[in-house]
Amino acid sequence: MKKYLALVLALAMAFSLAACGGNSAPTAPAATQAVEEATGSSIAVCLASEPDTLDPALNSAVDGATMLVHLFSGLAKWEQNESGALVIVPDAAEELVEGVENEDGTVTYTYTLREGMKWSDGKDVTAADFAYAWQRAASVDLAADYGYMFEVIDGYDDVWAEEPVEGAALNVKAVDDRTLEVTLANAVSYWNELLAFPTYFPVREDVVSNESWATDPKTYVCNGAYTITGWDHNSLITLEKNPNYVDADEILMDQIQVYLSDDANNMLTNFKNGEWQLIDDVPTNEIAALKEAYPDEFVVAGQIGTYYVCWNVNEEILPAGSGLEGAEAENARAEIRNAISLLFDRNYIVEDIAQGGQVPASSFVAMGMTNPDGSQFYKTAGSSEEFDGYYNVSPDALEDNFAQCVEVLKKYYDYDEATGMFSGFPTLTYLYNTSEGHKAIGEYLQSALAGVGITMNLENQEWATFLNTRKNGDYSIARNGWLADYNDPICFLDMWTTASGNNDVQFGKGAHKDVAVYSLDLTDLGYDVAVENGTWADTYDVLIKTIKGCTDNEVRYELMHRAEDLLMSTGCICPLYFYTDIYMLDDSVSGFFSNPLGYKYFMYCTTAA
Amino acid sequence: MNSRTLKYVLKRILLAIVTVWVVITVTFFVMHAVPGGPFMGEKAISAAAQASLEAKYGLDKPLIEQYFTYLKDIVTRFDFGPSLKQRGRMVIDIIADGMKTSAKLGVIAACLAALCGIPLGAVAALRRNKLIDKVIMVITTAFVSMPSFIMGSLLLVFFAIRLAVLPANGSTPAGLVLPIITLALYPMAYITRLTRSSMLDVLGQDYIRTAKAKGVSGVKIIFGHALKNSLIPVITYFGPMLAYIVTGSLVVEQIFAVPGIGRAFVSSITNRDYPMVMGTTIVLAVLIVVMNLLSDILYKLVDPRINLD
Repeated sequence: MKKYLALVLALAMAFSLAACGGNSAPTAPAATQAVEEATGSSIAVCLASEPDTLDPALNSAVDGATMLVHLFSGLAKWEQNESGALVIVPDAAEELVEGVENEDGTVTYTYTLREGMKWSDGKDVTAADFAYAWQRAASVDLAADYGYMFEVIDGYDDVWAEEPVEGAALNVKAVDDRTLEVTLANAVSYWNELLAFPTYFPVREDVVSNESWATDPKTYVCNGAYTITGWDHNSLITLEKNPNYVDADEILMDQIQVYLSDDANNMLTNFKNGEWQLIDDVPTNEIAALKEAYPDEFVVAGQIGTYYVCWNVNEEILPAGSGLEGAEAENARAEIRNAISLLFDRNYIVEDIAQGGQVPASSFVAMGMTNPDGSQFYKTAGSSEEFDGYYNVSPDALEDNFAQCVEVLKKYYDYDEATGMFSGFPTLTYLYNTSEGHKAIGEYLQSALAGVGITMNLENQEWATFLNTRKNGDYSIARNGWLADYNDPICFLDMWTTASGNNDVQFGKGAHKDVAVYSLDLTDLGYDVAVENGTWADTYDVLIKTIKGCTDNEVRYELMHRAEDLLMSTGCICPLYFYTDIYMLDDSVSGFFSNPLGYKYFMYCTTAA
Repeated sequence: MNSRTLKYVLKRILLAIVTVWVVITVTFFVMHAVPGGPFMGEKAISAAAQASLEAKYGLDKPLIEQYFTYLKDIVTRFDFGPSLKQRGRMVIDIIADGMKTSAKLGVIAACLAALCGIPLGAVAALRRNKLIDKVIMVITTAFVSMPSFIMGSLLLVFFAIRLAVLPANGSTPAGLVLPIITLALYPMAYITRLTRSSMLDVLGQDYIRTAKAKGVSGVKIIFGHALKNSLIPVITYFGPMLAYIVTGSLVVEQIFAVPGIGRAFVSSITNRDYPMVMGTTIVLAVLIVVMNLLSDILYKLVDPRINLD
């Protein structure tokens, strides 16, 4: 009897298990079916988690930008030409015209929009939509992250003036339905690139007047190659070819499924079992194995960005009782910081820690930024003939660098010849945001400094706290990184002006405000600027202002090199490596490309079945 | 329900409201005391832009004023406000989205745990010290002692990578199978053990012996008397189990990238998305308080011998 009962119970259990499984199992074929039902080609990709916004004006993320370049058509766009090079070509504009200089130095561009452009709901795209979109994106009301992208346009300063200016607006207007006229405060070399930037994409006033327009496929109206047909929040965004797009015939991929996940391990699992064809992140500790196992599918692409360590300029690093004060003390600190930059083996960092094909850096403006003649900006940085940048980061130079550093430190600290250790260096605390990768680099820096007797403790903070601490200058030395928004070195340089919100080093703030040790002489370039022993505001701020007003490209780049020279002379920036963009792309996909800003393009992709 | 029970229920409801209010208040002030803000990013926005956003969302007002405004909006209009990070979306919509997935996950996991745990526990009790009992006990001990992030990772490696029969990503329906199992194993094992010991206890009671002596059939004894009475502790476990599943889902949703409320909660804190932090906290707190309340009331209804005071 008991045996019989046990059997019944066991059966009941088995049944209940099956019943539970039944709740979720049958839905699986339905999902597969949905994909099959869509006619034509489809690609599944994973870039990041749920985008904060898909409003082109508000977006400031790379994953958001990737979706936006598929959804919208701005005046210009990035394209891969026949030789494989990336170029900026006209998109909504018939051509990317040259500007006409006005008497007051401003420059006016007049664009003609292509004929037959429609919004995804069938209405015509007009020049007024562009003008409206730009005014909106630059407005104080919207306070968009990338609102400053419009600072080159005449009128921007009025919009953001502290005292409200009557009728302040960007100098952009729709002359008629197909003619857009915009006036820049002065010529900028990267203007066409800005036109291809998502912040410059058009939106329609009646659409965006609904504040939540960009969160629901039903209200999402765009003018690009794709439209959003499904948005399962935190899970999946489905883009489908927009039949109203003017170049719809050229679009090869019919459907893009953008899965939303920020878990690198999860992405990798889905890539490995073939569900996703592109993943934009991989777990750092898997990189070495993946390079080996997927030599053709593991891709390391360039990305314009620098990973660096920044010092708080106001942090006292001189030994107690050094007797140095004011300008002398600051010069000594700069020399010491620069010497410490020589201690680190950047090749070890990129090969053994970061492992993503990063490039050892010896200057701040990242690899990928080009001079007017097309050569790399970082290769012409610094004054040395023998190496690129401000110090030699080749493996051979390691011993020399170390010896140089020791020589400098000997001037200021007690040195024990027997042990090779310095004493009297104040204890440092290295601040970084919680992440295994940053921690590993921090530990390496710590050990390198310990090798000469300098104690550096590690402190990690959660991301938002970290940003706050670093911005307020409540640190001695910190991890930092910067990615370019457009291909012009100025976006690495104007962040260090006194008033900049990204001036983490605290240049020109606190005690550093009155430190007058910087010199600037621009008379050879035809400017009436010659400052000897000036403050940061007298020199660097003036230099950046000069660059922004400079219309001669050759001179402008020379000025930018000088700005970087001045910046690097402080020793407050210790570049470690130039970023790369690592992703995995299934080898069945062809026609894919990505741009230097990390945007990925799927519209011309085809997949081998 | 007599008046004493009613009084008890009312008292408990009142207490539940006070609990939720305390949670709201503490969370509100602690959240604002944490450094960093919702409009902070790697690339800083200008001070003017920051001020404009703060004014737009009322963050420029004194904290105490913000607190009372928030309370008023919640109580009078059930308005959780807009998300500061996902601009254009309302907190209530984001929570509703996440809740759909999380509730599915939680309810299925809870049913699975009960439907498997009770029979297994009963089998183990009836087969006490036999092989099947020992096997069940060893397995359940393992499940009870293994944290969900280890169990989740193991299942992921085995079923999603080695065998590749189930997706690793929780955003598709098939992808929910692994997170559900991960979430269900601990409470299932717990219920098995609970049922087993309580059944053994009941089986030793006088009234079971009496029933046997009177010649009542084995099936009737087990289903009619033993199992029914041994389920009382299991019912009381439902409250804590739900709390476990809710908090457990914070981890499990992260591992399997399930777009549920647990993940929304974690990311809202990282983002300093104040209205979102408040919204998710309130929903989770209400859920746990209500479930505990229900299980206490249920307890009383099932076993009239229990004294409520």
